[in-house]
Amino acid sequence: MSAIEVENLVVRIGRATLLSDVNLYVEPGTWCTVIGPNGAGKTTLIETVAGLRTPTSGTVRMSGDVVSAMKESERAKRVALVPQHPVIPVGMSVKEYVALGRIAYHGPLRSPRPHDRDVVDDVLERLSLADFAYRDVATLSGGERQRAVLARALAQGTMVVVLDEPITGLDLRHQIATLELLQREVHECGLTVLATLHDLTLAGQFADRLVLLSRGELVLDGPSAEVVRSVELADAYEMDLRVVNVDGGDVVVPVRH
Amino acid sequence: MAIEQAPARGRDRVVDPPATGSSGSPERARVIIVSVATVLALVVAVIVGLVVGPTSIGTWRVVGALVAHLGLGHSTLSPLQSTIIWQLRAPRMVLGLLSGAMLAVAGATYQGVFRNPLADPYLLGVAAGAGLGATIAIVDVGGGLSTPSWTPALAFGGALVAVVVTWAIGGRGLRSNTSTLILSGVAVAALLTSTQTYLQQQSSANTVARVYIWLLGSLASASWSSVTLVLPYVVVCATICVLAGRALDVMSVGEDESRSLGLPVARVRLVVVAASSLGTAAVVSAVGLIGFVGIIVPHVVRLVVGTSYRKILPLSVGVGAAFLVFADTIARTIVAPSELPLGVVTAIVGAPVFVVILSLRRPVST
Repeated sequence: MSAIEVENLVVRIGRATLLSDVNLYVEPGTWCTVIGPNGAGKTTLIETVAGLRTPTSGTVRMSGDVVSAMKESERAKRVALVPQHPVIPVGMSVKEYVALGRIAYHGPLRSPRPHDRDVVDDVLERLSLADFAYRDVATLSGGERQRAVLARALAQGTMVVVLDEPITGLDLRHQIATLELLQREVHECGLTVLATLHDLTLAGQFADRLVLLSRGELVLDGPSAEVVRSVELADAYEMDLRVVNVDGGDVVVPVRH
Repeated sequence: MAIEQAPARGRDRVVDPPATGSSGSPERARVIIVSVATVLALVVAVIVGLVVGPTSIGTWRVVGALVAHLGLGHSTLSPLQSTIIWQLRAPRMVLGLLSGAMLAVAGATYQGVFRNPLADPYLLGVAAGAGLGATIAIVDVGGGLSTPSWTPALAFGGALVAVVVTWAIGGRGLRSNTSTLILSGVAVAALLTSTQTYLQQQSSANTVARVYIWLLGSLASASWSSVTLVLPYVVVCATICVLAGRALDVMSVGEDESRSLGLPVARVRLVVVAASSLGTAAVVSAVGLIGFVGIIVPHVVRLVVGTSYRKILPLSVGVGAAFLVFADTIARTIVAPSELPLGVVTAIVGAPVFVVILSLRRPVST
């Protein structure tokens, strides 16, 4: 059974069709990255898989269960979201921020249980945030902040994490560090990842599979090495793209004419 | 900044707590100090509310009577003094405590649920609805000298109707979001206020004056019956608001992220808005429109103890209660035997205090 099953998914807002008959299956413990130009429907797909949007038709399932039929607390135990532009509250410590990921377990009327606190401490340590635990999360640097957002998602204890452009605004070193951190969670903890990325080189290097969306339709779905070399990719971006292999890794380079 | 490659761990593996020293202690100490100060302020407010007045009664005699009322010792008050304390000052003081507590906690709750620092308990039309209800009651008796006895009932009804209409327009209940609710509140308030203005414009100068006095708010007509009417609403609604602290902390990351974390945002919003509005409507129907408490007290508390609603909400209850009793004491004594409108005093006293605290500490968001 797939960790994420998207079947015949259609999402419309008013007369605009954001996603049209999308089918996607992500196996447990694998990393699938959705690529595509602006307006392709990547964020809509991520938000629908995370349960924040209700499909117009079609279904999204997590290990066989329909996401849109789940209660919020149940859904939060099955799938965690890292949004593209997370809201960072002022005056909240990193530890309190990460602990928000446990609200589905202890509920909004109760204090975190010892187990919830242990999970938060564990995540803080795994993501090297323990030294920042009592810092105001709003005072962190961009890279540290992104790790805190990721830590909050991991504190949810889900086997599926969906991420919308998780490296937006980070410098190159922190982009790689964030993606390596995520990759470690996939390899060592069996996490299933569905992410969107604009950087085609990093998308190809970190994902097991790439899915190309264009104008709300799924155009191509396959191994990273094949998708980055496909004609469909160049057509979707309406650009001439070259792939250069550097030390065994594919680098996607746009060609200016 | 290097990101360490920590050793492999299971997803839910338990580890020793990080060595964080006592970084969290100063904040905890500040909250304890503020909590103790709030309790002391409440005790002082109760005593001041009972002691201060045109008839001089010694502080210790009033404290003695208070203690005797709790079953310890004997009261040394004369029958007249006893009547002044227990039938005039005590209900006024208790109604002040209840009103201040409710308005402050409702304001804090609104600021949290709408993530808007300008939100106050009147945001969704409570003030406009209550104002129209009271105006209808006062206009109905024409040139009479006193405010009719059914004014609180009509004010309460008007406030509730306004909030219900706002909620119905603001996005069909559970599907609504905070922006549409606020905008529909603005529209409903504008409609009701203009209706009220029309009614006033059609009335005599005497009627307009009585409406105006009611709108400014006062505890002058407080009695044990008004306390009895307001008490259950305040106890239930303020308790619900305080219990919502953790949910409001989660909502500080926005509605979508709160939902993805597992919080039933629409239900939380419905419950806390209903509790805040119902409690505010009950208070407003008894004391009129007292401004400033609902917006200034939560901000003062926030500036002192930080942004967590688990701390802001219970402290707002205590600070709001004490603040309104102190403000009422000033209102009824500073130009005695006349009284200043309570809303004027809350603003005159509250604004400088707020400005001082604001200048001493960095501003923080909701």
